[in-house]
This record gives sequence, structure tokens and C-alpha cells, in this order.
Amino acid sequence: MSMFEAILSTRSVPTGIGLGLRARFIDRVARGAADGVPTFVELCPENYMHRGGRSPARLEEVAQRFPVICHGLMMSLGSTDPFEDAYFAQLRAFLDRYDPPWHSDHLCWSGLHGAVLHDLLPVPFTSAVARRVASRVVEARDRLERPMAVENISWYAELGASQLDEVEFLVEILERADCGLLLDVNNVFVNAQNHGFDPLAWLERIPLERVVQLHVAGHESWEEDLIIDTHGATVRDEVYELMAWVIERTGPRPVLLERDSNIPPLPELLDEIRRLDGVYQQALSRWEADRSGGSADVRTAKAVGHA
Amino acid sequence: MPEANPARGPEPVVVERPTSALAAVIRRRDAPTAMREDLEGWLAAQGVEGEDLQAMLAVGAERLLVYRKLVHNRLRSTTREFLERTVARLGTERFARDFEGFMEDRASHTPYLRDVPTEFLEWVLPRWAEDPEVPRYLPDLARHEVCDYEVRNHFSAQAHEDDAPTGLPLALDRPLRFHGAARLMHYEHAVHRLSTAKDDRTEAEAEPTHLLVYRDDRHRARYLALTPFAAALLQALVVDRMAVQPALLAAAQALGEPLDDDKLASAAELLADLAERGACLGAEPETA
Repeated sequence: MSMFEAILSTRSVPTGIGLGLRARFIDRVARGAADGVPTFVELCPENYMHRGGRSPARLEEVAQRFPVICHGLMMSLGSTDPFEDAYFAQLRAFLDRYDPPWHSDHLCWSGLHGAVLHDLLPVPFTSAVARRVASRVVEARDRLERPMAVENISWYAELGASQLDEVEFLVEILERADCGLLLDVNNVFVNAQNHGFDPLAWLERIPLERVVQLHVAGHESWEEDLIIDTHGATVRDEVYELMAWVIERTGPRPVLLERDSNIPPLPELLDEIRRLDGVYQQALSRWEADRSGGSADVRTAKAVGHA
Repeated sequence: MPEANPARGPEPVVVERPTSALAAVIRRRDAPTAMREDLEGWLAAQGVEGEDLQAMLAVGAERLLVYRKLVHNRLRSTTREFLERTVARLGTERFARDFEGFMEDRASHTPYLRDVPTEFLEWVLPRWAEDPEVPRYLPDLARHEVCDYEVRNHFSAQAHEDDAPTGLPLALDRPLRFHGAARLMHYEHAVHRLSTAKDDRTEAEAEPTHLLVYRDDRHRARYLALTPFAAALLQALVVDRMAVQPALLAAAQALGEPLDDDKLASAAELLADLAERGACLGAEPETA
């Protein structure tokens, strides 16, 4: 049984294409402007936790309309700082209210010695760090009493001498912590471009049975040899293809469209969700055909059918 | 050697030197210049050595500095969003310099990005107060801008109880309950009268200013200008949590004036007005 199926056996899990909830359009989503398009919304608890005013009621309205998945930013799983009790108490209260099937955060550090840097910073790819991160994932799961998933990040510099490559590092954490993987295929693409590897070869080494969710997003070039995961552009065809490659092997999963900067009007984002859904449904058809004994060739079919 | 970190737990937790070096890349004001001049020397000074040093030298200064740019851009743009008029008047170069100082000396300590502007102000306001290049009214304007956000988004863990009308009429021997979002602000300049246009450069008049900032039923921040007596009374009621009668006496005493009928009448009018606005929620119930 895959990690996803194990969670599915005890909790309700949305699948299909979801929308990352952002302040820019939350009012419109709360009033129904996105109804019928995304199958779920993903929200960052830190944007809403410990916050009063309009925010709680507006979020309730959104949660009435869509299943909610939560994806955190500030757990700092790669840090050596002890977890903050107050942060975890607030996070747990928030998650208990919206009851997402799991909670996820990034394989990175965001703060050191109490200073919080509010970004996804890379960790050294060593066994010692993998063991530490895994133990923190377990601690987080115990504190939240909820399944945990970790997300692979975009990294722009290898931090010190690596003992492991990224996949070995990731797999060690997944296995030690027995947690899910939030597979960000845009991050895979960005890293492949920046560090010169084949993204499909990377994906082939990942234990897909641990994939509980996918992220897709756009990115931007900063320099000739550096692209940055800004979530500030439309999703590229290559990233659609990676998403489809995974879905035709895993079956239904929640797939989130992330957009954090240069956010277009909501109707444009919804159009992008529809395009993503077209690719997702094609991939799902290939997965279903493969399951029912269809041609093995379906897996090699070109995934991208959008404009 | 790794750097010891006094973390909890039976085994010592160590911070990898490359990790603490990256933190220094992001926080140290002199990092860009020093790294570009002598990356090896700079990394060695951060304790990076051996294979780690060689790996980070291969990465190069510019790629490591990408992280500094990402972090500073994010935090500066968030802070600028909250302090739009203050930063426009201060100038973006000066703001960037101040922000670098904040990152080096203190940095953020909150998991909530929205609280970074408040942290920045806590650090920078004493410095601005002593700097003749910074307009005298600017610290007041900065506090005024951030106050708006804080009042709109104030969180109360027990909002249904803490921010609900008590249903009890005013009693002289009881404190009053005010909505948790309400703030009493004291400025030396009338910054609340400045235009909200970002490109306006009118200087605020030097004028002692007292405002009650509260949240209305549509979650907007509203401002009520207070007379010196009203400000002293609300200081005693909202901040010092005094009962009404001693608060009235304390307010009059603070102004060095008698508590006459005019003051009593104006106090009654003020408290009735605040109740109508939803800022004053009634007398505090007696605790068991």
C-alpha cells in the first residue's frame, strides 16, 4: 500500500488540480468566483495563524467551498534550533480546525540561532543532516498528531561537501521518517536546469509510492545559467510533462498550481488550472489503461496536449 | 569543526559550518564586499574548512549571494508594503541601508512574515530618533502606518469572550473592557492628517497628538482624535486597566486640573461614544 493509499484509508483526500490561496484573490474565492474549477485549495497556515480581523471568517467561507490542504513555510526542518512550542501549538490548533489529510513543509532551514530568515535555505546533503531532519519530521508528526509530508526544494548552491546526492538524501529522510513526499516537479526542473541533470532520471530514482501531492509552478531566469523558483510565471510545458509523467505512474493525486508573484487576474489562473487539468486527465487515462492491462506504450506517450 | 549549539536533547546538536556561513552571507553587512575580495579568507573566518571550503569556493561568491538577495528582497518588500509612505519619504537607499543594519544586528525572530515590519521598527526607531537626517515626524508616521495593520489583524485567542460586549453597564468601581484591537497612540506630530498619497511630501506639523485606534465591525482601523483629558482617561482605563472612578481622578491629576462637572460630562459622552463604536464593550464582569 502506498503512503497515499494508507492516508486515504483513514482520511478524505482531494485529488485533481488545486489552487494556492493568496491574499490577492481570497475575497473572490470566498464569494464563489473559483467554484467548480479547482478541486481543492492549499493554504499556508502561517499566513492565517494567530491572525484576527477579517481573515478567520473569510477562510471559513473558503473552507465551506473547497477541501483544504495545508502547506507550511516555517517549520525549518533542516535547522538545529529546537522547535518553538508556541509555533507548534498555534499550528496544531489551526490544523485541527481545518483537518487537512496531512501537513507538509520544506526540506530546508529557515532560521538559525533564533534568527528567522523567511526563506527556503539549502541543507548540506549528508547522512548526519538527513538523520537530524528525519527525527524532526517525526517530532513534528508527533506534535501535530497528523501525517507529515516533506517537499523537495529548489537549491541554487550545494552547501559544503555533499556525501549524498539529492535523491539519496531525500530517500534517506523519507524512509527514516516514514513520511510522505510532496513532489514539486517545478523544483526538479529548476534544479535540473541549474545543476545540469536529467529530471526524468531524477524522478525515476524517487520512491513514487511515497508521493502524496505534487506542486507545479513557473520560474524565472535571473542569470544566463540560473533560474529561480519564483512562482512568478505560467507553468512551462516541460513542467507539465514532469507532472504527467508522475501521475501516469502514481494515479490520482492532488496537484497544486502555485503562484506567488506577478499574480494574474483570477480568471487567468483558473484558465491555467483548466489547462493543467487537461494534462492531468490525460495522464490519469494512461494510468488507468496501464492498470487495466493496456499497452505498455501508453507510459511513453507525450503528455502535453495544451496550447 | 562544527559549531556547538545549546539545543535541548541528550545529544549535542551541531550546526554545520557551511550552514552558519550561509547565515552570515545573508546577515553580515560586509559580506558582499568581503566575499568578492577574498572568498576563501571570508569562508575560513566563518570556520569553513577542508572539503566544505573547497566545495563552497567552487560554488563561488555570486551564487552564494543569490540567497542574500532572495532573503533581503522578500523581507524588504514586505516591510515596504506596510511602511509605504514612510519608506517613500525616507528614500529607498536609506531604507535598504537601515534594513541591512537590522538584519545584521537583530534580524527577524517571528515565524510570521507579516510581523517583520513591526520588528524592524522596534530596531530602527531609536536610531531614527537620534539621526538628524531623518525627518522628526517620520518615526510617528511609521508607527501610524504599522498600527493600521496591527489593529485590522489583531488576534485574540478567545475573541468570542474577550472581544464581546459584557452586557454590563458602566460602574464607577469597575474597570471597562475594551476591544483587544484598540490601541492608544501618542505622537509628537499630527501624522494622521497627512495625505495618504504615496508621493505626498508634506511635513507633519509638530503637535502633540493622541489617537484611539480601534477596529470597526467591518474590520477596518478607525481613528478617533482625543483631547488631552480623554487621552489621559483612556490611558488609565485601557492601558492601566483602572476602575472608572480612579481613572477619572488619575486623568484629572495627570493634567493638573480639578475633576469638574465639565470633565465628568465629557467623559460620559466619550464612553458612550466608544460603546456605540464597539470599542468599549461594557464593564468588566467580576471574577470569581
